[in-house]
Amino acid sequence: MKNAIIIRYCEIHLKGRNRGFFEKLLKENIKRSLKDIKCDFVAMHSRYLIENFDDFDYDLIVKKLHKIAGIHTISKALVVDSTFDNIFEAAKSLVNEKEGTFKVITNRADKTFTPNSMETSRLLGGKLLETFGGKISVDVSNPSFAVYVDIREDGKTFVYTDIEHCISGMPVGSAGKGMLLISGGIDSPVAGYMTAKRGMKLNCLHFHSFPYTGEAAKEKVIELARKVGEYNGGINLFVVSFTHIQEAIHQHCPEEFMITIMRRFMMRIAERLALQQGDQAIITGESLGQVASQTIESMTSSNSVVTMPVLRPLVCFDKIDIIEIARKIDTYETSILPYEDCCTVFLPKYPAIKPNLERVKRAESKLDIEGLIEEAFKNIEKYTL
Amino acid sequence: MIYFDNAATTKPSRSALDRANVFNQENFYNPSTLYSGGLNCAKEIKTSKESLLKNIGAINHELIFTSCGSESDNMAIFCSVKRGTFVTCKGEHSAVYKSFLELKNRGLNVEFIDLNPDGTVNVDKLLAFAKTNKIDFLSIVHVNNETGGINDVNYIGKKIKEINAKTTFHVDGVQSYGKLQYKLGKEIDLYSISAHKINGLKGVGALIRKKGVNLSPLIFGGGQENGLRSGTENVFGIKVFEYTAEEKYSNLKDNFEKVSKIKEYVKNNLDKDNIITISGENSSPYILTVSAVGLRGEVVMHTLETEGVIIGNGSACSSKNRYSRVIEACGYSSDVLDGVIRISFSTESTISEAEILVEKLNANVKKLKGILS
Repeated sequence: MKNAIIIRYCEIHLKGRNRGFFEKLLKENIKRSLKDIKCDFVAMHSRYLIENFDDFDYDLIVKKLHKIAGIHTISKALVVDSTFDNIFEAAKSLVNEKEGTFKVITNRADKTFTPNSMETSRLLGGKLLETFGGKISVDVSNPSFAVYVDIREDGKTFVYTDIEHCISGMPVGSAGKGMLLISGGIDSPVAGYMTAKRGMKLNCLHFHSFPYTGEAAKEKVIELARKVGEYNGGINLFVVSFTHIQEAIHQHCPEEFMITIMRRFMMRIAERLALQQGDQAIITGESLGQVASQTIESMTSSNSVVTMPVLRPLVCFDKIDIIEIARKIDTYETSILPYEDCCTVFLPKYPAIKPNLERVKRAESKLDIEGLIEEAFKNIEKYTL
Repeated sequence: MIYFDNAATTKPSRSALDRANVFNQENFYNPSTLYSGGLNCAKEIKTSKESLLKNIGAINHELIFTSCGSESDNMAIFCSVKRGTFVTCKGEHSAVYKSFLELKNRGLNVEFIDLNPDGTVNVDKLLAFAKTNKIDFLSIVHVNNETGGINDVNYIGKKIKEINAKTTFHVDGVQSYGKLQYKLGKEIDLYSISAHKINGLKGVGALIRKKGVNLSPLIFGGGQENGLRSGTENVFGIKVFEYTAEEKYSNLKDNFEKVSKIKEYVKNNLDKDNIITISGENSSPYILTVSAVGLRGEVVMHTLETEGVIIGNGSACSSKNRYSRVIEACGYSSDVLDGVIRISFSTESTISEAEILVEKLNANVKKLKGILS
């Protein structure tokens, strides 16, 4: 009897002739994620199997599988040679830790195995009741747990009781590449996670304003990017110095447009970097109306300087829902550390909520836009996380 | 790198480290053991205690080693008086301030006394409160760690005990021990000190207790420190503390004069148009707090760091807890609070370093004001 983890995927089933491409990506992503752990990866029909691992590593493997987009569910199974006695021994060891109502579900791919599925379920259920009578009882319509018996054609049988849900989605790399604008806040890492979960491979871009923000703020963003990277099979973080751009806007443009014009610069830089990196979209954590820079007018203003699609996965999410996801993906506690990504030194008291595009353009025309962007690109830092 | 954030921590003394190294290598034993190596370590700890107490003339006291000043403060606050009215001031280090907030959460009577503009406690208000309320426990910082303001704790102790002899009086001496010429007043019941503020190591502090003052453990276990603070003693750290304190006290007057001159130089040469001084006339020479009014302290700190000078800041770019609680309690307006910078000296600081500091601070504050105006 040995341990194994069964991995199942979901949406890939819907794919037609491209199914092989998705399966291959998922397989590669899983193997890459587990490369530092001693275990064997087996591809089976419509599912994968992790086996021959040290039981000590089980929790770590499960934790990693929970961060791989495209995996729908996993089960820790016991693998035995297909005899009824072996199956019973495995079931007994699993049910030993259970109580309540149960049923047995048998799937017999090996048609040479006797008895048949129905009979196996019935016999096994009876023997389990005999062994654990009083602690468990049968309820075939609404059991509190099930004993799954999966009799394979290769003479092996999987026995398991639990099915854990993972993050689902599509394998990272299956939906192109994108550039995530990441701040030190709560929203952008969540936006990154959601996009990666749908299969887009991400790069990250952060704007740093030293000395108006410090090294601690940058370290916080590196940590957040690393956490998003766990769902992305690693991640590249680009850090662009935004100091001179902020200073120039502050000195030459009306205070009310400070944020609007900053956002436009960020978009221009993001698109340019995205093109360099072969990315096809810009991703932001904007949520409609959350702050002055996230009204539809502000989004229109920032969109108008780029032609690349801008994905805003959180656009209709309430803050409370975003926080819930941030907690789930373990970025929340880092996001709320008190180092701000954009110093309040430059925040206007009354930012324009509905910036007029023509006035914004007029204000911006006082700046050497190209020169400032060129300069920002000269000092770009790259972190491979 | 020029370092002017010595109120945060100081560079460990090389000579003290070398002298104590024998307790890292040859004499590494557990002081609680009964073989000669262990007994020898226990004896060495006893010697350290005597030496550290002698430095401030604490002859009727004992010393309990802890892991830091904060632990000493917590032990004093939570482990001596168990009920009644607890009083402190608004200028305390967080280790005291937040412990008092915790006492309040637990339903005890807690009072925070107002400050003078230099960060010292308003003694008139304190005594007035003491006359109308029975104070069971009082905690006052000796040297305010943010302004350098010196509280005359011996005087406060005397006056408080005249009103109520039963008040337990704790003093946080973390920024004064090894720096000021000071003899522990007989009205002081508990006194916290820390090694790393005087070129010792982080992880070593102590609580000095007047004999007979009630104290129970904060940490239970193997019964070290007469059962008051369990946990195997950090013999090496304790010896470094003893040796560095010995170095400080053997030159206390000279050090004081030297550091005073450096502080005066910086204070007198700062650009008065852009930088105001918050530290009072009679503050500790080791701390000079100023404000680059209208700027953010953190921004000035980062700018100077890029030019090789490290200073401390009292105001962060964070929107939460943006201002220093202590400087705010001194009564300053928000633009002054924004620009707070703490320059703190050690016996290793030099005038030539101070010259560089002044030059760079003046120039950068002027430059930043130009950009942000």
